Amino acid sequence: MRRVQRVPISLIASAVAISTLAACGSNEGEGDSELVVWFPGNTEAEMELVQNSIVPAFEEEAGVDIEVTYVDWPDLGPKLNAAFAAGTAPDVIGHGVAATADLAANGRVLDLSEYLDQMDPTQREDMGSALPGGEVDGTPYMVPLMTTIRMIAYSAADFEAAGLDPEAPPETWEEVREVAEDLTERDGSEISRAGLVVPSDPIGVQQTFGTLLWSNGGEFISDDGNATMDTPEAIEALEFYASLYDGESAVDNTLGAQLPNQPAETPVVTGQAAMQLVNAGDIIKLQEAGPDRDLRLMAPPAFDGAEPGAFGGPANGLMINADTAVPDLAWDFVSAMVEPETNLEYVEALGALPVHASSIDSDYISANPELQRAVEALPSAHPNPNVPGWTQMRDAMGQHLERALHGEVEPADALEQANTEVAGILASGS
Amino acid sequence: MGLLFVLPAALYVAVFQLGPVLYGLVLSFSSYSPISRDGPSFIGWDNYAAIVNDAEFGQAMLVTGRYVLQVLPITVAIALGLAILSNRTFRGVGLFRTGLYVPHVVSLTAVSMIWLWMYSDVGLVNLVLDALGQPGQRWLTTESGALNAVSAMRIWKALGSNMVLLLAGLQTVPKDLYEAARMDGANAWQQFRAVTLPGIRPMLTYVIVMDIIYLAQGFAEIFVLTQGGPYGTTTTVNYLIYTEAFQYNQMGSASAMAFVLFAFIAALTIVALRAGQGRRS
Repeated sequence: MRRVQRVPISLIASAVAISTLAACGSNEGEGDSELVVWFPGNTEAEMELVQNSIVPAFEEEAGVDIEVTYVDWPDLGPKLNAAFAAGTAPDVIGHGVAATADLAANGRVLDLSEYLDQMDPTQREDMGSALPGGEVDGTPYMVPLMTTIRMIAYSAADFEAAGLDPEAPPETWEEVREVAEDLTERDGSEISRAGLVVPSDPIGVQQTFGTLLWSNGGEFISDDGNATMDTPEAIEALEFYASLYDGESAVDNTLGAQLPNQPAETPVVTGQAAMQLVNAGDIIKLQEAGPDRDLRLMAPPAFDGAEPGAFGGPANGLMINADTAVPDLAWDFVSAMVEPETNLEYVEALGALPVHASSIDSDYISANPELQRAVEALPSAHPNPNVPGWTQMRDAMGQHLERALHGEVEPADALEQANTEVAGILASGS
Repeated sequence: MGLLFVLPAALYVAVFQLGPVLYGLVLSFSSYSPISRDGPSFIGWDNYAAIVNDAEFGQAMLVTGRYVLQVLPITVAIALGLAILSNRTFRGVGLFRTGLYVPHVVSLTAVSMIWLWMYSDVGLVNLVLDALGQPGQRWLTTESGALNAVSAMRIWKALGSNMVLLLAGLQTVPKDLYEAARMDGANAWQQFRAVTLPGIRPMLTYVIVMDIIYLAQGFAEIFVLTQGGPYGTTTTVNYLIYTEAFQYNQMGSASAMAFVLFAFIAALTIVALRAGQGRRS
């Protein structure tokens, strides 16, 4: 009999435990004094700044508790989706711009128009070039925290050693290619120092191709929502990209490689490359890691007759959960994060570029001519299309681009197939 | 009274094992995105029909099959050889067995991270090649090399557990059978064929079946080492299911893929079991 009595007790205990767990996952009953925020990534300097400085200051000023969680990039999508499905998504969501369209299409994030209308007009104007990056079909859903742009970092030391003038870097992609050949060193048939290294890993391949495509006047998707990857501009851009790895005149020996994230291991820092397409905001870290390399940034090149364009624009930003019980508090936190001084500290910690045009006069930017050049180049930054299903399109086109780079198919055929797949995803509306 | 005893375990199995599987089955006939406010909507066999025409899924099935076929025979053969070696008495045999088993204790993800460095341009493998005067290779970024590189790691990882299981099988073979075989004039190879193999057949079948199940679900090593690249040549079905479900939010089609993979594994397992039983009879 005693053993039989244990069953209902354990059942009751289980019921209590389940109720408790369920309560933990619910937003009901939470007051205006708690805010849950998720940030993407695991950059130590960023985490330290946010958790030890920005959040405590906001908590003290607003009299609230903020629970900040950093989620590693690869886990962010799955965890956020699971949280939405379970009703436990955070009040404020930090994410990449590419995620905005899908979340907006499913009504998961707030339209921020009303809040932005209440923002100080001067500050709003100051963020004028960054804010459109968080819009989907003209409606703002994300407030960008940083901007970025891909630029070519080059070693002035290598330029001088090769008899080139580091003060007059190439201005077009054709010139970049010529200079890259001059800078490439070979050991027999192997490249011992690459003249130019560009990303070609599964995600990097799309961003690099985008940089070449936009600087040749092309687009992935037209304004009216059609795939436009099989145009002459796109074919020329991909042929140029593939030629970097092809034959005896190849200038890049990193095809398919995941380039190191650590500045000290970056090819242009280690001397394995003389030029490298990098995230321009990283230039200070690269210079510090390789002081003898005399690293500089060149203005984004274009193909002959086209305007410069490079992958970039607003990168990470903050959105507000449409189901949050505390939308005003969430907006206050978002506003605090984009205060010019706070935002400058934040981007400095991350090695990114600020969202305020006025930041070009700040000590952080003006102290380094290369960083200043990066900010000046921001008008050439071009973001990926902000449409639902973009991640799927990116991966689908990436595989075809990779095949072309490996010489498996002709660039024109690869782009035709990529165009068909992208058009299919656009048509499915996913 | 008996029912009450099994109730906790039955509840656990029903809630945490059968429940999710059944829900997955329901989802496989539905269209569902976790970020959608609408729940799953029933679409019949559409997800399965789409899989039939999905070239990417077909490619992933081929990759999965190739991965199983090129890892399984090698790892079982080497593990059997090592088990026979460590079944003998020699000095340091305990250390030998422990050393071979260590990779099995470490998590597959952690091991994959270490091999990621070993396969990098400046990793251990290329350093060894360099020391031998050979040029370094790009192990994980070429179509011809990436799956082989992953397979080599997986073979190394699976050796320890396979060896221990086969060693346990070897130790169940009665010694007097070997003695009788020797008295009949059997040489070492004949003893292996006529005594060892029949004696360890149940364990060998178990090892092969478990390896098929694990290898056909290959994910962590692919996620860490290649992320399915270059251009899908290392994308296993399980990795494709992950991208479909968690990158593209297509839970319905991901669930359908999972059940097709389940059928594939079940078929391979039945073939392996039948082969084991057939030889025994």
